[in-house]
Amino acid sequence: MMDRAGRLPLLGILLLITMLIAAGCGGNNKAGNGNAEPSNAPSAEPGNDAEAGSDTVLSQITERDKLIAGVKFDTKLFGLKDPGSGNVEGFDIDIAKAIAKKLLGDETKLELKEVTSKTRMPMLNNGEIDLIVATMTVTDERKKEVDFSEIYFNAGQSLLVKKGSAIRGLDDVTKDTKVVGVKGATSIKNIEDKVEGLRVQQFENYQEAFNALKAGQGDVLTTDNAILYGMTKQDSNYEVVGGTFTDEPYGIAIKKGQADLVTAVNEVIAELKSSGEYDRIYEKWIGEKPETKQ
Amino acid sequence: MDFTSAYSRDNLSFLLEGFGLTLWLALLAIIFSFVLGCVLGIIRYAKVPVLSPIVGLFVELVRNLPLLLLIFFARFGLPELGVSLPPFWAAITALTLFEAAMIAEIVRSGLNSVDKGWVEAARSSGLSYGQTLQQIILPIGLRRMVPPIVSQFISLLKDTSLTVVITLGEMMHHANIVMGQNSRIVFPILLLVAFMYFIVNYVLSLFARRLEARQT
Repeated sequence: MMDRAGRLPLLGILLLITMLIAAGCGGNNKAGNGNAEPSNAPSAEPGNDAEAGSDTVLSQITERDKLIAGVKFDTKLFGLKDPGSGNVEGFDIDIAKAIAKKLLGDETKLELKEVTSKTRMPMLNNGEIDLIVATMTVTDERKKEVDFSEIYFNAGQSLLVKKGSAIRGLDDVTKDTKVVGVKGATSIKNIEDKVEGLRVQQFENYQEAFNALKAGQGDVLTTDNAILYGMTKQDSNYEVVGGTFTDEPYGIAIKKGQADLVTAVNEVIAELKSSGEYDRIYEKWIGEKPETKQ
Repeated sequence: MDFTSAYSRDNLSFLLEGFGLTLWLALLAIIFSFVLGCVLGIIRYAKVPVLSPIVGLFVELVRNLPLLLLIFFARFGLPELGVSLPPFWAAITALTLFEAAMIAEIVRSGLNSVDKGWVEAARSSGLSYGQTLQQIILPIGLRRMVPPIVSQFISLLKDTSLTVVITLGEMMHHANIVMGQNSRIVFPILLLVAFMYFIVNYVLSLFARRLEARQT
C-alpha cells in the first residue's frame, strides 16, 4: 500500500518538471504577444542622462525615428482602445500624433504605450516612454518630479444641463437648485463649498446620475468636464455650461532636464492652436469648440 | 444596463484574448511556484544548517508582503537595481515568489504531519535520512498536501488579476478597457468576467475534491 501511495505524487512532480521545461522554451515568444513587449528603447541609465547633453530624449527620438508616448487605453474621449480594431483613439492620441508629425515628419512614427495614473511617472523616469499625454493634471507637486508643456486641455469641474435651461453657470446655482452628483466624489464637496446651503443629491455612478438628470430629478449634474462631455455625446439634448470652476488643466509631462523637448512640444501646441487644427481636434472629440475666454 | 452592446463580438473576443493571457500567466506561475515551493518547503523541513534559516527568512518575508507590492516592485523597483525584466516576466517573477512562499509553508506542514514513529521506524530499520525522506516522508506528506496546494492554485489564478496595476493584457485589464466605452456595460462585463474566473476555479476545486475523496 505504501508503495502505490508513494509513486503517484513523485510521478506527478516528474510530469510537472517536464512541463516546466517545455513551457520555458515556448515562453519567450508568447510573452512578447501579451502586450508585454520587451521594452527595447530604454537604454538610458536612470540618473546620469539628464546632464549628458548629447544624449537627450529628443536626440533619442530622432535616432530611433519613432516617438514613444504614454497614453491611456481606457479613458473615453482621451485615449480608448477599440477592442475590434485594436486602435487607440482620442484627444490625447491626436495630440501625440501631431507631436510625432512635427518631430519626425510623419504621424505614424508613433508608438503608443499604455500608462495609468500609477505607472506613468515611473515609466517616464525609466525612459520607457518619451512623454506622457494621458489626462495628466499639472500640479505644483508633480512639477517637482517632471516638467510640463503648456496646457493643452482645460479640465476642471463644470455643469451639465438640459439645452435651454436657465442655468448658464455656477452663478445661477442657488441652495434651492436641484444638483445631482456621484457619491464620494470631491466634486460634491467643491460645489457645496462654493454655494452655501446647497445639498447635492448623490447617486452611485455617473450613469445613474445622468439618468436622474434626464428624468427631471435634478436640474444640474456636476463633475469633471471631460466626463460631462462624454455624456453630451450620449445625448445631444444636454450641454456643458459656464466653463470650469475648478482648475485641473492637462499638460504633457516630460522628464526633467529636457528643455529642448519641452520647447519642441510647446511649439507644436502653439502651431496647432494658431492653425486651427487644435479647434478641429477639440471639436472632433469634445463635440464643441473650445472656450475662447482662455 | 445594456447586454447587447456589452457582449458584442469585438468585446467578447477581446476579453477572451485577455483570458488567454490570464491562463498563461497562471499556468507558468503555478509550475514555477510549485517546483520552487517544494524545494523551499523541503529545505525548511529538513533543518539544514545555515540554508534552512535563510529559506525560513525568505518565506516569512515574502509571505507577509502584499502581492500588489511585489508586482509593482518587480516591474518598477528592480530596474532601479539594474534588473530590467519585460513586464510579463516581472509579473511571473512576483507571482512565483509569492506563491512559492505560500506553497513552501503548505509543504512544510504536510511533511511535519507525517507520524514521527514512522520516521523513527524507517531510520532504525537502516534507511538513511535521505532515503527516509524520499521513501517515507515525501510520499505520505505530499498526498496530504494536494488539497491545500490546489486551493493555493485557485488563489493564484485569481491573484493574476492584480497584474492589472502594471497594465498587462490579462482579462481584468481588458475588461477595464472595454468598460471605458460606456458606463452602461459595466455590470454585464463584470458579470461575464466573474463567470469566467468562476468556471475555471470551480473545475479546479472539483478536481481537488476528487483527489481528496480518493485518499480516504
